[in-house]
Amino acid sequence: MALSRGTSPNELIARDGDRVDRLYAIVSGATTWVFRHGIAYEVVEPTAPRRRAGSHESLAAPMPATVIAVNVQPGAQVSRGDILVLLEAMKMELPLRAPSNGKVTAVNCQAGQLVQPGTPLVEIGE
Amino acid sequence: MRPIRRLLVANRGEIALRVIRACREMGIEAVAIYSDADASAPHVLAADMAVRIGPAPAAESYLNIGAVMDAARRTDADAIHPGYGFLSERAAFAAACEDADVIFVGPPSEVIEQMGSKIGARALMKKAGVPVVPGQAPNDQTDAGVAAAAEAIGFPILIKASAGGGGKGMRAARDAAGLAEAIPAARREAEAAFGDGTLYVERLIERPRHVEVQIFADAHGNAVHLFERECSIQRRHQKIVEESPSTALTPALRARMGAAAVAAAQSAGYCNAGTIEFLLEGAGEWASFYFLEMNTRLQVEHPVTELVTGTDLVRAQLQVAMGSPLPWKQEDLVQRGHAIECRVYAEDPANNFLPQAGPLSLYREPSGPGVRVDSGVVEGMDVPVQYDPMLAKLITHADSRDAAIGRMTAALRAFPILGVRTNVAFLLNVVRHPAFASGDLHTGFVDEHLAALLETPPPSELVRAAAAFVEERPAPSASSGTQPGPSRTAADPWADPTGWGR
Repeated sequence: MALSRGTSPNELIARDGDRVDRLYAIVSGATTWVFRHGIAYEVVEPTAPRRRAGSHESLAAPMPATVIAVNVQPGAQVSRGDILVLLEAMKMELPLRAPSNGKVTAVNCQAGQLVQPGTPLVEIGE
Repeated sequence: MRPIRRLLVANRGEIALRVIRACREMGIEAVAIYSDADASAPHVLAADMAVRIGPAPAAESYLNIGAVMDAARRTDADAIHPGYGFLSERAAFAAACEDADVIFVGPPSEVIEQMGSKIGARALMKKAGVPVVPGQAPNDQTDAGVAAAAEAIGFPILIKASAGGGGKGMRAARDAAGLAEAIPAARREAEAAFGDGTLYVERLIERPRHVEVQIFADAHGNAVHLFERECSIQRRHQKIVEESPSTALTPALRARMGAAAVAAAQSAGYCNAGTIEFLLEGAGEWASFYFLEMNTRLQVEHPVTELVTGTDLVRAQLQVAMGSPLPWKQEDLVQRGHAIECRVYAEDPANNFLPQAGPLSLYREPSGPGVRVDSGVVEGMDVPVQYDPMLAKLITHADSRDAAIGRMTAALRAFPILGVRTNVAFLLNVVRHPAFASGDLHTGFVDEHLAALLETPPPSELVRAAAAFVEERPAPSASSGTQPGPSRTAADPWADPTGWGR
């Protein structure tokens, strides 16, 4: 099998014997995106897992969003599935739910705040 | 007759581009408006004039009637096309145009007012003999008042924004607990999306199809329908796949629904393009249809109708707005072949269709016979977080439904979008699903088949090899940038120091 660049930028041509295939691939940050036959694959470089195992988890916004409501305070006992923070992005509400039972160890946001993805908003310990 | 020489497009994205294209074809100058998030957006760059109307949040820009009217005055525009969404169904906006003696490309403000109120619209439909779904907008709009009205109708129940459309502020509830959660959420969404938190409750009809009829009326008392669109494939109560004709309609049922839609339009004193949405229970001769709502504007999915009827609805809108009679008679209009539209969104289907924002690092549209793409984005730009994340509408047209599905499948497979997650693979699974092929559709289709629709194969060896290939040999052009602006697109030959060919 051989890969070569196609006629348009980031287009790749794969040839294997008589077979021909077309793909698109691009590196964006830590992710390499590959498109083939209608499916976009995200190939992530293997990095050290950000989340420490088991005992501690943090919840972050999946995208830039506005905090509408913060339903918990530090010290609160929460159950898996509880809505901890209500976000709004693109006119839609996005509830952030507790991923497991635990105790809230930190709340790093307040209603009305614009938050960025990746920033921990609520931290939960055991 | 009152000619339009300069028209302001009070919208953004693909629909602004669609209207600008029609203006260009008719020799009309097009004025774009933009927020700070859209300063060099495609609709701005395509216009003849462009006016800043405010900061990024829609409430302070595209929804700001005063700012839009100022822009119209400043540019001496003699007409305004509202597109869909934003101010398109605000009676106050149409009224502001009427007061300023600017042609509003749409119906008169009092018709928008009447049809925008679910109560007014229902009353009118009942009078015109069009069947309606049991429901009401409670006078008591407190949580308890809305809950009581809902329980009086009975579960399952639908809570929706009285001013709304497009599924925003719409929630279903099957019991009292669900209702208690749904009411405040629906109200907040309604307020955010429409600036009006009034709620409406109605009986939820199970497994209905969403079939709507395109109507068109002029100022001389003529009204026609341009047949149906089936829009049953929805997620979050928002259409994602639309087609015409519907597989559920027989010629007799089509004629009945068309006649009902025309009667509804005429009794409303309607003018310009509009859509009567129906819920269809069952299929064929024995189906019953209920009036759902009237959209007093051009629909997102209008291209489906344009392709099967061979019409240009935006051109016709402008002609009618100028005072010309309708360009067609009912007997001239026929459905020819089959058209399907897929709405391509920046969203993550696997994560509850969560909207995505980010860089369109790579974006290439498919083309070919029977393939139409109406889009509002270009490669290299950022998908902004403030607005609806629809990137493009992909529409295919062919002699038969099977051929249109085949064309859609091939076109989706040739629509690479990278850098931001999209629903392309999901749409491909929809149009290839056996239940879609057999035409067995209902508005719960996506939920019913969700697991199958979300399936994607793991990356093959070839895909991994392609990833390794570009990681080891980065393309000479800037490709991983997140900066907006067309100058950063990977397709820009000037950004490529190696020259034109590769």
